[in-house]
Amino acid sequence: SRLSWLDNSGLGFSLDYPTISLHAVSRDLNAYPWEHLYVMVNAKFEEDNAKEAPMAEGEEEEEAEDSDDDTEPIAEFRFVPSDKSALEAMFSAMCECQALHPDPEDEDSDNDYEGEEYDVEAHELGQGDIPSFYTYEEGLSHLTAEGQATLERLEGMLAQSVSSQYNMAGVRTEDSIREFEDGMEVDLAPAVAGQFEDAEVDH
Amino acid sequence: MEVSHSVKERTIAENSLVILLQGLCNRVTTVELRDESTASGRVTNVDAFMNVRLAEVTFMDRQGTLCHLDELFVTGRNVRYVHIPDDVDIRATIEQQLQAIHRVRYFGGRDKGRKEFPRTKHR
Repeated sequence: SRLSWLDNSGLGFSLDYPTISLHAVSRDLNAYPWEHLYVMVNAKFEEDNAKEAPMAEGEEEEEAEDSDDDTEPIAEFRFVPSDKSALEAMFSAMCECQALHPDPEDEDSDNDYEGEEYDVEAHELGQGDIPSFYTYEEGLSHLTAEGQATLERLEGMLAQSVSSQYNMAGVRTEDSIREFEDGMEVDLAPAVAGQFEDAEVDH
Repeated sequence: MEVSHSVKERTIAENSLVILLQGLCNRVTTVELRDESTASGRVTNVDAFMNVRLAEVTFMDRQGTLCHLDELFVTGRNVRYVHIPDDVDIRATIEQQLQAIHRVRYFGGRDKGRKEFPRTKHR
């Protein structure tokens, strides 16, 4: 729940995600001599205050912006990893963590969406309590007989396409199975399994 | 155009204008921040909380200093404006995003035979 930076000796510091305004990967060596992760923080850091920002020698640099006007305090951090190929992963990890910290002060986001999953289609159908997606166990118990048959047919098709090593049109296999429920266009019409085995698939 | 994997985010997006920003993926534009710095680059993602991800960015800080960043992530809280490029058809973009959400939501069809939306291949 916080961003932490430690050097080899274990010396380091942490930043709270909600204070981070933005972060970026900078590879422009004209602007700064090393490729680094740039982080802008909405807080004040004082260079001689060892408690708030202990420096790890040679591994991060801190520039505190003087705010002599009414604007919010800004601090800029540049994290220079010893392995610059780690920058992408660091950037992505931070993006994901930031997404987990939505702005608590945001009044625009409708709080009706918190807690129970709000389901627009169920609401339109007048069935307000039906969730629009199920966990695996729940979902199986809600299947009608027809739904069960469809599921078995689909699983059969997938099993066939994996074993025969053909890519059926529109059906992605292996690690895309995980994304099966996310809007992938699948033509459910084929009544004969293996109908696409001889298809030339052009993606 | 990628739709969020989260039901909550899709619902939030469907009910706010952030859906328009999500339709700007792969477009180059300028984001003005609360502190008056600006970031110009190609939009790679906008989530329901208006967190914006840009690539190939020219960033101008509030002092006016320019620098180039490969990738930038700005928290929604710090976004003041997002410029919509002149050639973007706003209504069409919003409708396309709504259709994408509905394709995800109604994946597999809802009851036998009835197909509310034409089956179009991705892209």
